[in-house]
Amino acid sequence: MRRLQATVCYLIVGALAFPAVAAAHATLKHTVPGFGQRLARSPAFVQLRFDQSVKALPNAITVYTAKGKIVSGQTRSGADKRVVTAPVRRLARGGYTVRWRAVSADSHVVAGVFTFGVRHRAPPATEGFGSSGPTTEEHVVRWLYFLALALVAGGLGFRLLVVRGPLTERAERRFYRVVGLGAVGVIEVGILAFLLRAEDALQLPFGDFLYGDLSPLATTRFGTAFVAMTLGFALVSAFVFLAWLTDRTILLWPAFLLALGFASGLSLSGHSAVDAGSSWLSELADWAHLAAASLWVGGLVQLAFVVWPLAPDLRRQAFLRFSRLATVLIAVLLSAGIYLSVLRLPTLSDLWSAGYGQVLLVKLGLVSLALLWGAAHHFLVRPALERGRPLFAGLPRSLAGESAVGMAILLAAAVLVESKPPPQPTPSPPVALNSR
Amino acid sequence: MQPPAEFVHWMFATGFLLLGLCLLAQAVVGDEVWRRRPWRTYLWPGLAFLMGVLMWPVMVFFTNSTIHMVAHGSWAQVMMLAGGAELGLVRGKLHSRYWRLTMPLAFLVSGASFLIHEQNSWLFARSAFLHHVIGWTMIVGAVFPFVATFRPRSAVWRSGFALTFVVLGVLLYCDRDVAPIFGHISSQAGTPHR
Repeated sequence: MRRLQATVCYLIVGALAFPAVAAAHATLKHTVPGFGQRLARSPAFVQLRFDQSVKALPNAITVYTAKGKIVSGQTRSGADKRVVTAPVRRLARGGYTVRWRAVSADSHVVAGVFTFGVRHRAPPATEGFGSSGPTTEEHVVRWLYFLALALVAGGLGFRLLVVRGPLTERAERRFYRVVGLGAVGVIEVGILAFLLRAEDALQLPFGDFLYGDLSPLATTRFGTAFVAMTLGFALVSAFVFLAWLTDRTILLWPAFLLALGFASGLSLSGHSAVDAGSSWLSELADWAHLAAASLWVGGLVQLAFVVWPLAPDLRRQAFLRFSRLATVLIAVLLSAGIYLSVLRLPTLSDLWSAGYGQVLLVKLGLVSLALLWGAAHHFLVRPALERGRPLFAGLPRSLAGESAVGMAILLAAAVLVESKPPPQPTPSPPVALNSR
Repeated sequence: MQPPAEFVHWMFATGFLLLGLCLLAQAVVGDEVWRRRPWRTYLWPGLAFLMGVLMWPVMVFFTNSTIHMVAHGSWAQVMMLAGGAELGLVRGKLHSRYWRLTMPLAFLVSGASFLIHEQNSWLFARSAFLHHVIGWTMIVGAVFPFVATFRPRSAVWRSGFALTFVVLGVLLYCDRDVAPIFGHISSQAGTPHR
């Protein structure tokens, strides 16, 4: 009987385990040149092939240079109404942006953007000519993303590394609510962030944006990170849900490890991966910085809003354990942060002269405040608690205050991530010794 | 590299058909018999939750229009929500029967997503026709889980709920991307293929 049940389960999972892609109508199937393709010589034309017939307007395909000069001619349809082509001039070395717009046979407008390079790296679609951003909304969305990540990764870390034993029923319920909110938040805010970035690249009115082709964006580093992180955090949500459903804390471990692992998507698609001077070390440092910050802020939230009000018996033990963990986290946070700052700011004066440096200064100010706050907890409250003295009455408010500063740091980090670091100085050519 | 569009519809059709058949069996034999083996109580809610999880890959790899991406994301979420709520109820982690309202909510959201994400008219092609039919079936079919929430012993409403899934499964099995419907296809739909 058990074997039959197992076989049925395997068949069901097998039938569902290979979901493919559902296609629809007037979809772009193929382009010449391809998305992000680097060509050895100038193409003679740009061609789009759709899955059904489209009406080509004269300017349906427009090719721009990096400076915005139009280098394409009038778009034409061939005998096959699914194909539209625009001739291009002989293109010089550089990156090019293709913006296209076609009227689908059913009168809906479909549109998109992609890039290619001639003897040059193609710019990401999000940095093609005409793209804008990041906007204030994107800063806020990025901040919400960091907060959600902290709630889920930090909450899970706190539960598994600090409060290892059982919680009271009410505290357990609130723990799952906070972590669940974080897991769902990462997915939802991630989708929103991807759509806002796509809107920046496509530059379409909302009605047309709904039918805009996002596939070139999904092939960028940012898009790949979005795909991986959405799938990863869908699994995290499922594991958190199953842990709650079955009362098995062990299921939180895969959720925790997946959350930390997939958080690396941000490091592998951000400044530390693409800017000048990037290496595997900068990516690793960025991930360590992000993971430590998430564990610290998320842990503080759990301590202040879950354990303190709802599990009084665990307060002392949880505070002491978290204090020890926070020391390690702060050390990782600071070392990785200093390394990344040195890497991204070529000179010290960039701190006050460049926009990126100014935001970093604000962040450093907030970090100093948080460090002072944490130090007060570590050097004043912790020894008293270790000696068995009664709990300090203002401690819950103090913890909530430290959490709030942590969240403000995440806001500064969100603005920093979306800002462009100052350019690295180009090395001067070697001077010949005997030149006069 | 992408498999034909209809394959994904057929795979989820299989899921809906299994879900509907489980619910139908439960409605026919009654809860007492159905729950004689504990694992059976988790069968259809677990399947709904799993289908929600498996919808995420479809969403993230299907980015050739914003509206389709958002629609697939909404299906993933409501299936996980409705399946998860039912799992919580059968496990005893949730107690209020109002959690069962997540199922009619899922039907309404899914139906609306089907209708909004289909850009073409009813008779454009078979897939357009089926998307309209599925959308309206889900919106009208939401009444079955809604009433069943308040009349959980009624075989009529529970059977209606189960048969809605069976109908959805059958409709999804019929789905093909560009294919004639009743021998008709819009001249604008392109050449039928596959």
